[in-house]
Amino acid sequence: MTVDIFSEDLLQVDDDADLIDAMAEHGWGDGLPVVAPTTERVDAMLLGCPRTDPDEVVAVLPPRFGEATRRTLAVNAVMAGCRPEHLPVLVAAVRALARPEVNLRGVNATTHNVAPLVVVHGEVARSGGYNGGRGALGPGNRANATTGRALRLVLLHVAGAIPGDGDASTQGGPAKYGLCVAENADASPWPLYPSAIGMEAPSAVTVHCGEAPHNVHDMESDDPARILDKVASAMATTAQNNACISQGEFFVLLCPEHAATCAAAGWSRRDVSSYLFQRARLPAGELKRAFGLRAWASWMDQLADDELVPMTEHPDNVRTMVVGGPGKHSSVVPSWGMTRSVTLPIQEPEGRPC
Amino acid sequence: MLIYRPDGGFAQPPAELAPSPTVLAGRRIGILDNRKPNADVLLGQLAERLADRTGATVVRTETKNAATACEDQVLGLLAEEVDVILTGTAD
Repeated sequence: MTVDIFSEDLLQVDDDADLIDAMAEHGWGDGLPVVAPTTERVDAMLLGCPRTDPDEVVAVLPPRFGEATRRTLAVNAVMAGCRPEHLPVLVAAVRALARPEVNLRGVNATTHNVAPLVVVHGEVARSGGYNGGRGALGPGNRANATTGRALRLVLLHVAGAIPGDGDASTQGGPAKYGLCVAENADASPWPLYPSAIGMEAPSAVTVHCGEAPHNVHDMESDDPARILDKVASAMATTAQNNACISQGEFFVLLCPEHAATCAAAGWSRRDVSSYLFQRARLPAGELKRAFGLRAWASWMDQLADDELVPMTEHPDNVRTMVVGGPGKHSSVVPSWGMTRSVTLPIQEPEGRPC
Repeated sequence: MLIYRPDGGFAQPPAELAPSPTVLAGRRIGILDNRKPNADVLLGQLAERLADRTGATVVRTETKNAATACEDQVLGLLAEEVDVILTGTAD
């Protein structure tokens, strides 16, 4: 045995122990190497949330009903390799996931491969070193990689979303290791996403529980419609949960060049979402053949088989923002279906840090 | 070295299971179909066999969707009308 219970909160680990295996003895870890969450490192991590109570419960996470305190979140942040400036982002993301409209119990327990996409907006994206530019959805940036990973460790450890136990996912998915990105404000022709949904905050975090991103490339178009018709094609498929659930959201991550083409034609973010709502449709009969069990708006069930059904019931469910660097590749991130995205400010209204 | 455990404490679950009856004869069995494909087949056949073997009464009901928690109204009715609930996933 390489790990012994030392106290209610602390474990005694052999100095030469393999920490991956030592954690695995308790069912902890994501299979990758972790940084040892020593008391000194956790105290240093908590400096990321100064003037707050480290033992205040900021969220209760199902299915384990684990109590997420800042200290527990800091432990997982240390293990993932975060820096203290990333902790407020993690805290806000956990608060967001605990909102009832996210339906975290379902997100964690379903057989689907759903995982949270974390989008960091505003000043904290810059100060925390988050990447919203070239390769933002991929490896190579500490803030993106470790914050996304820390959130997954929180879901494994605190929420109890352990594969085969609290997580029934049939196949799992790479996004379950972590998926965190910044909105590319510098390259966006439109205001920050939070302001588009009525939130004026210098820094904010959005969580969207969905699938891994699906690529859409358009190298040649100089008009918005031709680009967005390809995006709509990626949305209009029966190979996703949104097809049988009319309230589902789509996150459309436009690369700067595609967004610039839209903006140059005078299109607002709202215009992009409305166009995609209009164009991303499938015949009612095709959807009915594909899904005997549908959670549709009641009016959709009244459509004749040859009529087109929108992939989601409202343009506001198509959420558009700019992510990425040079090149002409955008992404679509369909949701799990029975969940809603949540955006929260990093700074609470009274000025208290998360 | 000393390290923190990463899971922390947990809150009291919002509900706990009632003790199971030791005898089903004369009891009322509720079938809570979560509407997953084949849940009705699995649960229905299970209930029929139990009813045949024990003489229990079977009441069938369903939730709106397997992805969300069962509605309070449905749970309230079941609490009044049955002694045992059979439910679970399928597909």
